[in-house]
Amino acid sequence: MGNCLKRSTTDDISLLRGSDSVRESSSDQLGQPYQEPIPAEDVSPVYYPSPSVSRSVVQLTEEEQVKIAKRIGLIQNLPIGTYDGCKKERECVICMVEFLVGDTVRCLPCMHTYHMKCIDGWLMRSLTCPSCLEPVDAALLTSYETT
Amino acid sequence: MSEPQSALLLRKQLAELNKNPVEGFSAGLIDDNDIYRWEVLIIGPPDTLYEGGFFKCHLYFPKEYPLKPPKMKFITEIWHPNIDKNGDVCISILHEPGDDKFGYEKASERWLPVHTVETILISVISMLADPNDESPANVDAAKEWREHYSEFKRKVARCVRKSQEEC
Repeated sequence: MGNCLKRSTTDDISLLRGSDSVRESSSDQLGQPYQEPIPAEDVSPVYYPSPSVSRSVVQLTEEEQVKIAKRIGLIQNLPIGTYDGCKKERECVICMVEFLVGDTVRCLPCMHTYHMKCIDGWLMRSLTCPSCLEPVDAALLTSYETT
Repeated sequence: MSEPQSALLLRKQLAELNKNPVEGFSAGLIDDNDIYRWEVLIIGPPDTLYEGGFFKCHLYFPKEYPLKPPKMKFITEIWHPNIDKNGDVCISILHEPGDDKFGYEKASERWLPVHTVETILISVISMLADPNDESPANVDAAKEWREHYSEFKRKVARCVRKSQEEC
């Protein structure tokens, strides 16, 4: 693949249960699929099958779960790096905070770089680069269409 | 517990706008203790029907900002195709990306997490100068703008005068 940045090694399931890039899950909601939705947002992670539709993990339809799992898989395949101070971008344009050496950053195919914690939340809603609007890995998405 | 990212980001923007004001509007908070609710005064853009007016607006930011857009409402009465009769602004950059297959159709016109109070206001000011009649929020205003422009102008002029009296 030609990139030398390390990749996240967590598997998709653990991401669905919540990780630092998505909202933290405080209980094992996946094990209770028939439980009534709990109003308190903090109880289970919230997902966005489409940007204006938010659902807790227990409310997702099977189709939406697949869609989100694919999206998580795609995001995981984007390189993660550690800011070393020599990149062109000096500031994360999402949080408007300057990168500090050692910050965990994610680099999109268009080469725009953001804090991982800032961009991952956006990518879970919309798979576009907020700076140049390039669809993130359009080639991979096209291959999903056939499934 | 530390402040959420949204509050920090809004605080930063407020400080920046206080330090380096942007032409065309002034921004502050409705209540100094609530960083999520802003009050903005838009100066009617020169060479438009709204020239000379002072339009007070509120911006309501969600806790999820900048992943989600704020809502914007004109408090001062205004007659415009893209502002509904309650004052709610209907502009594509304040809409989240649509429910299209992959979530990025026409992304350029929709909300992006890089938008700030400044970029939102620039879009709204440009909307005042150049209404978009494809998706009107105030159908009557849009119809007048297209078909009875003199009446449209008259209504806008009345809003401008009223806004001057309120200031």
